[in-house]
Amino acid sequence: MGEVRQKQRQEKEKSIDKKKQSKVFLKKNKSSDKRRLNRRGPQLAPSLQREVGRIKGDIGSDSYEASDCSEGETFPGDVYEYEEAVPEEESRKNRRYDTVDNYEYELPDHFKDEDVFSDDEEIDERDGKGNLTEDSDDADPKKDDDGSHARMLQNITGMPREAFEGKKKNNIVISEAYQESEYNPSRDVLDGNGRISIEDLLNPLQGKPGYSMLRKRTHQTEKKSMALQAPLPKADRERVERKVAYEQSKKEVSKWEPIVKKNREASTLYLGEGVDLGYSTVGAIASEFEPRTVIEKKIASLVHDGKIMEAHKNDGSKLLELNKVSFEDEKDRQNQLAKMRSLLFRHEMKAKHIKKIKSKTYHRLLKKDRVKGASVQIEMDPDAAKELAMKQEFKRAEERMTLKHKNSSRWAKRILSRGLNVQDEGTRAAIAEQLHQHANLTRKMHTLKDSSSSSDESSDEDYSDDQSVDENNSRVSKLLEKAKDKTLKALEDGEEAPNSGLLALPFMVRGMKKREEAAAEEAKLAIQEFESLSKQLNNSETEYINTETTSGRRTFGAMKKSAPEPRKKTKSEYYGDTDGEDDTEAREAVEYDGDNNNSSLFADANIVSDILCEDSKKHQNSVFKSFDETVRDPGPKTTYEVAIFASDRWKKVKNLEKRVDSTTSAIVSSKPNLQGQAPKETMQDVDDQSDSDHELMVEGVLSSANNESYELPSQADLIHEAFAGDDVEEEFERQKEEILNEENPEPEKPVLLPGWGQWTHVQKKKGLPSWMLKEHDLANKKRQEALKNRKDASLKHVIISEKLDKKAEKLYTKTLPFPYTEKDVFEHSIRMPIGPDFNPASAIGALNRPEVVKKSGVIIKPIEFEEVDPYQKVEQHKQNGKKQKRKNSKTKSGKSAKKLKKAGA
Amino acid sequence: MEKELGNAVAERILPPTEQEVSDEIDVKLKKYLRGEGANLEVLKDKKLKGQLSVIEDLYGKSAKAAAKVEKWLMPSEGGYLEAEGLEKTWRIKQETISHEVDILSRRNQHDIILPALGPYSLDYTSNGRYMAIAGRKGHLALVDMKDLNLIKEFQVMETVRDVVFLHNELFFAAAQKKYPYIYNREGTELHCLKEHGSVLRLQFLKNHFLLASINKFGQLHYQDVTTGSMVGSFRTGLGRTDVMQVNPFNGVIATGHSGGSVAMWKPTSSAPLVKMLCHLGPVSALAFHPNGHLMATSGSERKIKLWDLRKFEVLQTLPGHAKTLDFSQKGLLAYGTGSFVQILGDLCGAQNYTRYMAHSMVKGYQIGKILFRPYEDVLGIGHSMGWSSILIPGSGEPNFDTWVANPFETSKQRREKEVRSLLDKLPPETISLNPSKIGTVMAVKKKEKKTKKERDAEEEAAIDAAKGITMKKKTKGRNKPTKREKKKHELIEKAKRPFLHEQIKEEEGLSRKRLRLSEEVELPKSLQRFARKKTVT
Repeated sequence: MGEVRQKQRQEKEKSIDKKKQSKVFLKKNKSSDKRRLNRRGPQLAPSLQREVGRIKGDIGSDSYEASDCSEGETFPGDVYEYEEAVPEEESRKNRRYDTVDNYEYELPDHFKDEDVFSDDEEIDERDGKGNLTEDSDDADPKKDDDGSHARMLQNITGMPREAFEGKKKNNIVISEAYQESEYNPSRDVLDGNGRISIEDLLNPLQGKPGYSMLRKRTHQTEKKSMALQAPLPKADRERVERKVAYEQSKKEVSKWEPIVKKNREASTLYLGEGVDLGYSTVGAIASEFEPRTVIEKKIASLVHDGKIMEAHKNDGSKLLELNKVSFEDEKDRQNQLAKMRSLLFRHEMKAKHIKKIKSKTYHRLLKKDRVKGASVQIEMDPDAAKELAMKQEFKRAEERMTLKHKNSSRWAKRILSRGLNVQDEGTRAAIAEQLHQHANLTRKMHTLKDSSSSSDESSDEDYSDDQSVDENNSRVSKLLEKAKDKTLKALEDGEEAPNSGLLALPFMVRGMKKREEAAAEEAKLAIQEFESLSKQLNNSETEYINTETTSGRRTFGAMKKSAPEPRKKTKSEYYGDTDGEDDTEAREAVEYDGDNNNSSLFADANIVSDILCEDSKKHQNSVFKSFDETVRDPGPKTTYEVAIFASDRWKKVKNLEKRVDSTTSAIVSSKPNLQGQAPKETMQDVDDQSDSDHELMVEGVLSSANNESYELPSQADLIHEAFAGDDVEEEFERQKEEILNEENPEPEKPVLLPGWGQWTHVQKKKGLPSWMLKEHDLANKKRQEALKNRKDASLKHVIISEKLDKKAEKLYTKTLPFPYTEKDVFEHSIRMPIGPDFNPASAIGALNRPEVVKKSGVIIKPIEFEEVDPYQKVEQHKQNGKKQKRKNSKTKSGKSAKKLKKAGA
Repeated sequence: MEKELGNAVAERILPPTEQEVSDEIDVKLKKYLRGEGANLEVLKDKKLKGQLSVIEDLYGKSAKAAAKVEKWLMPSEGGYLEAEGLEKTWRIKQETISHEVDILSRRNQHDIILPALGPYSLDYTSNGRYMAIAGRKGHLALVDMKDLNLIKEFQVMETVRDVVFLHNELFFAAAQKKYPYIYNREGTELHCLKEHGSVLRLQFLKNHFLLASINKFGQLHYQDVTTGSMVGSFRTGLGRTDVMQVNPFNGVIATGHSGGSVAMWKPTSSAPLVKMLCHLGPVSALAFHPNGHLMATSGSERKIKLWDLRKFEVLQTLPGHAKTLDFSQKGLLAYGTGSFVQILGDLCGAQNYTRYMAHSMVKGYQIGKILFRPYEDVLGIGHSMGWSSILIPGSGEPNFDTWVANPFETSKQRREKEVRSLLDKLPPETISLNPSKIGTVMAVKKKEKKTKKERDAEEEAAIDAAKGITMKKKTKGRNKPTKREKKKHELIEKAKRPFLHEQIKEEEGLSRKRLRLSEEVELPKSLQRFARKKTVT
């Protein structure tokens, strides 16, 4: 055994050496065949290789298989075998490369391979055997071979031996590696001689069923005898295949085209139409409920209890019985509840009480605040101050009465009797505090009396209203005197001057003097003023009350005066033709007062208006006259008469009017036309008549009419009317010019900088540069163009503003919305309102239908195939769509996720 | 072609009555189509074309349905006076009418004589059910016109110049001596609008909820009555006037002035939209046709003019002086002078107004204001002795739309409508001369070339922006100060570049122009022979 192992090891070492030499790591292959396949580079087919081998002449030496089996050695005749050359770096040719270490992993010399039985070895061994057998085969039966072969052929084909003879001649003895079999055909067969024809194969079948048909077919094929073409190269073949596939899929897809088109063109898609959702009420859902979990089952068992169900069935009276609770139980429950409630209540009260309790610091701060607030209030409010003073007075009095804080309490007495020095700090501080408080309280009185004069004054003023006048005056005079004294003092003081230092310098002294003089003068003036003031004060002391009352009266008087003044003014305005804005109101006010005198005014006004309104107003004039007459007789103001003319009174009035009409019909009819150039005399006659008529009428119907009159045009209106119309047109044109200039401003006249180019006289001579003039001209031309393009260019008396309204800009679209390219088309398309206010109910739905209509909660299924006539009109499509209730979506239609149901098949 | 022929044949076959009906519907259909559809042939986009054609079909269907609805559900047609033979419509008196009409209509002929507190001004609610009257001397009253029931009357003890209802009968505004006030139906004073000053005339814009007023100083105020905010206040600068009227079509307010000019205003611009010289004398009255295209003005030079507001041209000039003017819903024009009321009608439908009716009050009554009552054939006249109401056949709209105005409104409906109208309230900027243009593409004004100053400023701003860019911290070599400086410089150059390009382009253009000009300049005579001769072909 040991020997065998050694041998094996040696072999292995050998093989490793070989590998090293070739420097090619060969993978351990499972079989030699595989290794052959793994050999890199293209290879010839084995048969061809064999042929090549034969041509090369090493016949009989070693067959392909044998040579192949020798490991590691490359096949010498293999044209395509790629031999890896030694890399140049390693060959160290010409020393072009640096010496490079070989980093390839080399097995160490003492490497011991693990004793693993690899497949290779086995195969090697087997190959070895195979070689052996081959060798033996090579040796003996060469001559036998031909005979046996012929015999075999004879046996198979049943043909005479001679038939095979001829071939034998050129039969060069070739040692076959394998025995001939159907898997390993002889070369004759491969060469084409001695081929097995179909006939040969058919013959044995003779007489069997289907034989004649087979023969026929073979005959047919033989007759045609088409040579099969070589298969196309792969690329071409694939292209062809792709083309066919494309055609096919195109056909498949284009089948969908009309559907897609239809969907795209449809104004509305109906998705998920035909689905019946069934009932979806709560009851319906609940009826299908089945208890599953434990608790559900429990509940169900209780609910569906036989007893209860029965009780429900029998009008439910038994339910009450089932519901019975014992008296004790109920009582217990109530007691429990009451207890809990009372507990809660108590707890609540406690909480409230606790919440109300405030800390010591809180109270201290509160007090501080209060004191502060009070002090502020005193300053602000005299009443509060008064109150406080009262309070303090009261406290003071109390303190004085009780001496509460003068160590009179039992506690204080006890402490004092024990001796203050013995006490601790806190107690002493408390005692001191008390004493301090006492002092404070008593001192307060002191301060109240004469702490400061100013506050005293104010408080005095507050307290004593009646004395205030005298006191005030005396105080003022005192003040004045004080001021006087002070100024005098200052004057005297100012005279002493320093004798040394900076201030003693002469110019300083001078300056000082000047200043002093000025000050003295000022002081004198002040004194004078004080004196005059004090005098005045003395005088006013006597008159004080009087002046006050007069001032009050004065305001009252002024009011009184102001009231009649405007009245006068209006009247004067009325007479004196002034243009007042208020005159109408004023006049009305006058009228309202009930002055009957102003009827004459109206007459005047009428005359004015008559003059203004020329001849054709004659009729109105008469109206005014009559009106004035009606005005003259006053009547009750507040009564008014309502006449509904359906009654007979209407007729009365009408009769009266008719009479008027009969007399004045001609004029009346012409009057509205106001071309009325009826002769004046007749007009006047008629007026007289009508006047009388109106008097009658006034008696009849308008007996209650009083001094009211129709409002006359105001003075302003009259003046306007009188003077308007002379140069209105001109003015308007001027205005238009202005506005045009504003909206399309005139270009600035070209100007040079002052002094520019003047020093050479060249510029002067040349005038303005030509480009300036040109620019000006251009601007002018532009302006003219703009003016011409205005809407009001041809309208002389119209100005149409072309100002852009920024606020209204948002109501317009700035650019055409997307699919539109023509402004006109867009504007026409939005001309119709589509809301329910503007369209009949039958049309609104169609006008406002959304692009996609679908039901909520319904799964939208992918598009289905259906036959569509591509030349149908859209209108019909829509109806079809509705009828068929398509379940297709626009977006999915082109995609592969289609479920195909052929409509036809 | 065949199809068309077929259609024509089919039309011919229709029986005469049906033919009539279809003709009638066609007329209405045209109205409801609101103009023609766009020419889709122009479009290249097939998809859009398809979509639009579908929409256009829908429009057609809708219009047809609407026309049919109008045909069958709004059958009442306005009546009018028809004269036979030598009769003239303007000779027909009120009493003759009163004989012919039913009792309810006869109730609409009445005179209320209130001599103490006149002259009276009046206003109707938009449904014509309620009337507010204001006596100059402080008498304010609210009347239910259906049963002639006085709802409330009170005395404000000062001058009242005008009264106007707000969106419904619950509120009305009165222009009093110093300020306008808003009262509710019970006569409780709700607001005093001090900002308006002493107002001469009030108008209410229903769709925008704006109360417009013009005061003594010629100031125009717009106040939003829902929020109370002052939307606009402008000086007209044209003096005192009490002629103001709102155009019901577009909400534009027109004021007539003493210079004979009429100015039209909107609340978002201080300059008048349109200013036109209508008369040589002061404008005394102004009225708008409900369709908004027709305006009537009267001046003191005794002329009444009808204006086409689309072209701003005079359609018709009538002689006469009007103190007050008003158009009815059906387009009758009434004007009052003195104690005489004249009604003109566009009888032949060719914008040619002729005499239709006339009514003279008792002599001495001075008419202050006339107003047609909506949805009734009634003209209300406020005059110095109270107010009157007369029948004018064919003045009111016979078919009312309850969504727009319901004369028989219940309080619940009123509440509903109030909420609705508040939801549909239009913002003040929607007021413009042509509101149908809203939503269309704005007419882009050609942008003027920027001046040099502007350009410089822009350039400077761009450069500043480039300078202000904070540089990122780059790795390794690219964060060197030199590199950073370089980069910064580059950025500035980049910012400058477009401006430079622009400048260069401009200069090129100028030089080209100059070249062209120089070519045209004639050479001096001595050199002309060297000039390149133009090839004559």
